[in-house]
Amino acid sequence: MSSLNAALALDLSSLLDIGNSAEFRETIFAHLRATAASRMTSSASTATPLKHAFEARVADVKSPKSDINALILDYLTMEGYPKAAAKFSKEANLTPQQEDPSIRARQKIQQAIHTGNIDTAVSELNELDPEILDKDPQLHFSLLRLQLVELIRNSSGGDIQPALDFATNKLAPRAATNSEFLRDLEKTMALLIFPHDNLQPELAQLLHSDLRRNTAIKVNEAVLVRQTQRREAAIRHLVRMRAWAESSARSKKKDLPERIELGLNGDDNDFHDVIHANGHEPMITT
Amino acid sequence: MTNPFQHGPSSFGGDSTSTPLVSTLLGQRRTSYASVVSGAPTLARPTRAGAFSHLLNPTTDGDTHSNLFAAARNYYVDTGMTQTRNGASGAEDDNGAPSSQWPPPRLGAGLPWYSRAFDRYMDKRLPLPGSLGEEGLGGGGGGPLPSASESGFLSPTYLRGSVYLQKLEEAYKAKLFAEREGHAVKAQAVAGLASGTSSHLQSSHKLPSGSHRGVTYEVVEKPPAIEEDDTISPLPSRWNKEDKDASLEVLGDGCEVKYTGRTTSEHEASAIRSDHHMPSLCGVYYFEVLILNRKREETTIGIGFSSKSVSLQRAPGWEPDSWGYHGDDGNSFAAQNSGKPYGPKFGTGDTIGCLVNFRLGHALFTKNGDELPIAFRDVSFKDVKGKLYPTVGLRKPGDHVLVNFGRVPFQFDIDGYMKKQQKMISDSIKNADTSSLAPPLAESELIQQLVLQFLQHDGYVEAARAFAEEIHAEKTDLNLDKNELVEGINIKDDEDANNRQRIRRAILDGDIDRALKYVGRFYPTVLKENEQVYFRLRCRKFIEMIRKEAELNLLLDKKVPVKQRYHGEDDEEMLEADNSSSHWDGDDRMDTEDGNDAGAVSGEGGGISKLMREALAYGMELRTEFHEDPRREVSRALDEIFALIAYPNPLKVKEVAHLLDGTGRVAVAEELNSAILRSLGKSSRAALENLYAQTCVLLEDLRQDGGDGAFVTVQSVIDDIPPSSIL
Repeated sequence: MSSLNAALALDLSSLLDIGNSAEFRETIFAHLRATAASRMTSSASTATPLKHAFEARVADVKSPKSDINALILDYLTMEGYPKAAAKFSKEANLTPQQEDPSIRARQKIQQAIHTGNIDTAVSELNELDPEILDKDPQLHFSLLRLQLVELIRNSSGGDIQPALDFATNKLAPRAATNSEFLRDLEKTMALLIFPHDNLQPELAQLLHSDLRRNTAIKVNEAVLVRQTQRREAAIRHLVRMRAWAESSARSKKKDLPERIELGLNGDDNDFHDVIHANGHEPMITT
Repeated sequence: MTNPFQHGPSSFGGDSTSTPLVSTLLGQRRTSYASVVSGAPTLARPTRAGAFSHLLNPTTDGDTHSNLFAAARNYYVDTGMTQTRNGASGAEDDNGAPSSQWPPPRLGAGLPWYSRAFDRYMDKRLPLPGSLGEEGLGGGGGGPLPSASESGFLSPTYLRGSVYLQKLEEAYKAKLFAEREGHAVKAQAVAGLASGTSSHLQSSHKLPSGSHRGVTYEVVEKPPAIEEDDTISPLPSRWNKEDKDASLEVLGDGCEVKYTGRTTSEHEASAIRSDHHMPSLCGVYYFEVLILNRKREETTIGIGFSSKSVSLQRAPGWEPDSWGYHGDDGNSFAAQNSGKPYGPKFGTGDTIGCLVNFRLGHALFTKNGDELPIAFRDVSFKDVKGKLYPTVGLRKPGDHVLVNFGRVPFQFDIDGYMKKQQKMISDSIKNADTSSLAPPLAESELIQQLVLQFLQHDGYVEAARAFAEEIHAEKTDLNLDKNELVEGINIKDDEDANNRQRIRRAILDGDIDRALKYVGRFYPTVLKENEQVYFRLRCRKFIEMIRKEAELNLLLDKKVPVKQRYHGEDDEEMLEADNSSSHWDGDDRMDTEDGNDAGAVSGEGGGISKLMREALAYGMELRTEFHEDPRREVSRALDEIFALIAYPNPLKVKEVAHLLDGTGRVAVAEELNSAILRSLGKSSRAALENLYAQTCVLLEDLRQDGGDGAFVTVQSVIDDIPPSSIL
């Protein structure tokens, strides 16, 4: 039982007496002096038994919500989820990281690329940052190449002339300057020759939606670097750090459980739903 | 107090005849130890007040910290927080120490202020002190000096941001906090301008007269909280007078050592070790030694590191568990009598650096800022019996060295070296394969899942729904086969999530009563089952009351000069507005709660505000309710928050202000949210939080013995995020 409590046990009425406030404060000081030494010594540990030591240590680590919230908002902002970012800022009491129009502009560009409307994407991009494509030929080529893929996709079984023209006029001059570009162009042109339903994996990849997704990511990153000097959301680093740390620790033979679960699905959701339906019964009755 | 350099003619720099030598030395050499050695006199030089004072100010600050008079030192050590208040006003004035006695003329005193010796301090490219200074820890904060004298312990630039320094700082703060609560609160309350006498003079008796050790070192020398903690030991900061051969004399602030014995046989040397060992947790450790011998040809100095068990009659490198680089022949010695040709010879005026890389298990030296090849490879430092200490061995009269353990900038670009090490690690992290984390999810999808699961788990209902819609839209866009329907993510209209969000909102708004009301309505059993959370909520309510009052006072401080306050109508209105629920009448003012005249609390017309009285009444209630609780953490928490009453305005006192800030609300809100989740049979942590915590623990494992983990922190990832303050 703390002696400060005793100190506070001064008569309420005397406390409220104006003249005694200094006395009250003195009492507090006296107590503080007395208890200071004991203040900082212990730290509670709540190790859970029956678990691998690693799990117990993990349970002891604080994962500050402020950090997690920052990661989330950063991700939603950087990767272009404006609605979620706005709602989350509001619900979690955070100031938005970037102006809403900026997130939206990036999202629009991503959207255009996702849907295969590369022309739209390029013009939106030029509007947002007229220099970006000139300064990054690699990025520009990626976009044009994707556009060619889209033209080929749309021409399948029909007129291939637009795709050929596009390749000749837009891509060939660039490919001449860079052997890697040239290889990419040749590979893409192969799509015109082979039937799309039976492609070798390397070519089939080009027609997969991942090409759109990845191109969109590249464009987004390029814009982010120009706008914020950062390429990626911090959560990506964290996730990779987690993967790297586990494989390094395993290679150094650290004592780890066989598998370290993230708990993405470990929420006992089904069980919970049953309980929920019954009203909020506590799980354990004593 | 006397100057140690005046003890005898052999002392370096005490007599005017030695000054030319030094000046020559300084004149020839552009950098930098010169500035260290000559640092002291800048304090007393009147020129600093001139037009260039803005340039020199960092110097003066640094010197203020490192060359204080005894009175000032005691004062600073004991009431670190008042140090901030006095700040740049200058220690000599505040402490009334007669500056005529000190500093005595010393090395480089004759240097004009524009001497290049001071280049270092004016170099704008030097990194600013990092996070250590940001919390307003010191009046000197922002200066380019690398040592964190403001925060009381050595903090070399290359270790900034490392887990090691972080831990050191925590330990130091804890110690400071405990100490301050013990005896400094009072001094603080009487406006902090204590006249040395009211300070606790605990360290003075330990100082030999004539010592002018810097305050940085003073603090480091006696950090009880740190010493008691096995896991974190301070950095080496000076030579250890208890761990040296008898022929050596430690001079000055403990960084200089001189051979005072006779010439001995070839097989003997006199060694000295530092006060603390090189912590492997740092990953890399570095120090530099400047050779101060007067005559160039007569240096027989060995520099290196050794464990405590190694004989002090032997030069570093001659014995097992010791390694060294010797100036007379340029050889390196790895735990044996015979050396190997390694680098150039070195002597007077040279600066030799010693770098130990615990991660790669090797060590190398630098000469005058240039990196020499690796001297010792494949050293298994963790197998060495005992810890390793920076060591020098001197052999002849006149051998004289000065060590820099990181208090001033190094000649060698150790920061750059450290960055390269960090980059190696961060590159391999960048290329890490994340596919094994949650197969079959690829990185982008995994992250989407993590974020979505977090939003749902933590009851961010609206955000979760918006995010799910945006993900769905994205998937639809990417879908090539327009006939195929993309399955939407079904965010259930989860009543629980809504309720939890409502409760969170109330706490984040500081409205604890509203939160309690909701909890009682939606989860009537939760608080009974989680008494701890209930207690935290009650405490938070008390804190909110104090905070309200403190905020009002801050407003008043800004708005109305002290004298007018009694008649300020605005105040009246503000009080009324904020106390609408109060049942006290509004006659009492809170003038005397102002931080500047706490002494007037009992004075005429003073009193405690009604907000304060409410808070006190509520505090009584809290006490009555919990005073029989036997748990130590309960009484401790009560102590902590009740202590807030002791401060005139806790918001202005950085040591307690954190108790009041908004992050405390977040903490309580999340604790309650977790309790509700548990009561519903759900995991109290979202997957992303698991991932975060797992990464912390894994890195900790990788940090042992200075491995890869010493070069990265989870915090560095978080720190990449531009600050987004809590509203």
